[in-house]
Amino acid sequence: MAEVLIKKEACRGCQICVEVCPTEVLAFDEAEQKAVVKNATDCIACLSCTYICPSTAISQQDFHSVKNFYRDLDFSVKAKRYL
Amino acid sequence: MSEPKIKLNTEWLSVCGGCHVALVDLHEKIVDVMKVIEIQRSPLLTDEKGYPPAQIGLITGSVRTDHDREVAKAMRASCDKIIAFGTCAVYGGIPGAALAHTAEDILDRVYLNNPSTDSSKGVVPNRLVPKMDAKITPLDEVIDVDLYLPGCPPHAAFIFDALMSLTKDRDPRAKEESICAKCNRLMKKTDVSQIKSVMDGMPDEDTCFLSQGYICLGSVTLNRCAAPCPQNGVVCTGCAGPMPQILTEPNRDIRTEVAARMSALTNIPPMDVVNEIEKSAKSYYAYAMASGMVRNKPTFLIEKWIEQVEKV
Repeated sequence: MAEVLIKKEACRGCQICVEVCPTEVLAFDEAEQKAVVKNATDCIACLSCTYICPSTAISQQDFHSVKNFYRDLDFSVKAKRYL
Repeated sequence: MSEPKIKLNTEWLSVCGGCHVALVDLHEKIVDVMKVIEIQRSPLLTDEKGYPPAQIGLITGSVRTDHDREVAKAMRASCDKIIAFGTCAVYGGIPGAALAHTAEDILDRVYLNNPSTDSSKGVVPNRLVPKMDAKITPLDEVIDVDLYLPGCPPHAAFIFDALMSLTKDRDPRAKEESICAKCNRLMKKTDVSQIKSVMDGMPDEDTCFLSQGYICLGSVTLNRCAAPCPQNGVVCTGCAGPMPQILTEPNRDIRTEVAARMSALTNIPPMDVVNEIEKSAKSYYAYAMASGMVRNKPTFLIEKWIEQVEKV
């Protein structure tokens, strides 16, 4: 099962992840003005929230990674060598 | 007896020199660095003009002249590990924005038809200066590069972490996070329906620029600076280069990613944002347009965008 992690200090409270999630995994905490994980078990690991998050606050763990054959492979190798 | 120090060479190519100044910005931390690293050759710091063998080589700047190319090769031959240091070395940087013009146009503007200098003699320097290439080339298209540290310049904290991780053979702590992750402005939904220029009005200090209708590249830019601009009232111009997801995924781009977020926060239609960025593409894509990772994207149509703006 995919695990959704939200870095609280990075979340800017835009709520775009809450809107984009097709399975309503995420919710918005009005008091803290931050996104929170509400229904963790419903996550289908589509990664929509991870990609749209402006502040890279969301990450997924333990999901089946699909090989994106269309990716820029040269840069994917290079990206591992960033300091 | 203490362990021998790690030897470091640095060199600059076509660049403003700010990355070398950033090295000195380590302030007192440079004392810790100097305990384990010996700077052998550095244009700003030492008198050494040759290329003595070294373990680490920092190269700043992109390749624009014959001289740049020869110097880059000499550094590669003398250093075990080459680090492309700063946005110019990694992506081409601001000099790379010259991709939008021919070399002849640039020489003409600088030496023959420059409104702010005396160009009455009509001379373009051609003696004792290296030949200028037709275009800018990022460093790794000329020599093999081992590591990359983008930033314009990289913040001293990232430089210190990078150098220490190399000397201690550990992974650097720097992450793949965007500028927004370090910006304190709150992103909230607004009714703004028009894009504003940075000259329009006074932006609210606590609200995200995107929510207010100002185009800010924070969400598409890698954090190697600790976000000083947006936290001091200036929109992010993307100086550390695009996020890896933009560079690796052909269907993602600076303009579409900003448009998706901005239209979700405001009432501005996404295509308005896309059109606005295309209209000023020379500014919004300035830092990374020379890099093959952006230049070769099928969706990157800089010539068409420039023509659309400048033909009128």
